[in-house]
Amino acid sequence: MDRNQSHRQVATMKQSLFDQGYLDHEQFNQLEELQDDANPNFVEEVVTLYYRDSARLVHSIEQALEKSPIDFNKLDSYMHQFRGSSSSIGAKKVKAECSLFREYCRAGNGEGCMRTFQQVKKEYTALRKKLETFFQLARQAGPVDRARRPK
Amino acid sequence: MGLILRFQLRQSISLTISEPGESTSSEHHPNSNSFLRGLQVALVESDDLNRSVTRRLLEKLGCSVTPLSSGYECLSAIGPATSSFQVVLLDLQLPDLDGFEVAARIRKFRSRSWPLILAMTSSSAAEEDDLWEKCMQMGLNGVIRKPILLQGIANELRRVVLQANRVV
Repeated sequence: MDRNQSHRQVATMKQSLFDQGYLDHEQFNQLEELQDDANPNFVEEVVTLYYRDSARLVHSIEQALEKSPIDFNKLDSYMHQFRGSSSSIGAKKVKAECSLFREYCRAGNGEGCMRTFQQVKKEYTALRKKLETFFQLARQAGPVDRARRPK
Repeated sequence: MGLILRFQLRQSISLTISEPGESTSSEHHPNSNSFLRGLQVALVESDDLNRSVTRRLLEKLGCSVTPLSSGYECLSAIGPATSSFQVVLLDLQLPDLDGFEVAARIRKFRSRSWPLILAMTSSSAAEEDDLWEKCMQMGLNGVIRKPILLQGIANELRRVVLQANRVV
């Protein structure tokens, strides 16, 4: 495939992720700005790190939700962390669900927490699939020639 | 004592360390951030992801970054003996020690104004009116909101460094 075409495909997919609200364009663009010759795969590395680290948190939250009575402080603390790292990679929908979760948490509403957590996981998984496709496309397209990229 | 401090500060800020592979960053951010080059920063952040991203941001600005992942690690690295850090970026929500506790201990060991300490905190906490005041009372020099963006961190660092230069 023509190199320019591949890059256009990548750009189109990225724009649709922004338009559909999956990714925050400011945060995600910033991650791309941090990619350079010395760190050519920074974005993918960061996203991989996110999914690896947050898997632990997801598990902790699930366990905490199964306890009786629920320790809402602990839950809030886990979710605060999860929301924070989701926010750093620009995971917009995930972050929004996390915020909702924390409201239920603060209200001591276990039922609400459980319902919202299903949503969190749904968005989290959906984003992962989208990003996997995105990185595959990006890898196929090859590195962007940054020196000649129009400003 | 004050004179020595000023000399150290001036000397440190005017350091320019050129690193291979960083040439694109200096073209991106010329003169406005050039005085951040070579700034010795201790980055205290427990979340692996946030630490990686913030570290990269700081390196892009030309800072020399030492990543630390807990309150205790921070205190060991800074401690009462001489340390080369000019700035400490401190996550307030650390799992082992309260961020303010860490700041208080640094201020106890070191002088009132050195190193410069900036708190990093999530937006909701930063919106509390008394957070800024509490930071100032505890001897912190600035606050950076998360999620951290390049211009935000550059602006706050610049403000704090320039202020420190003016005071002495």
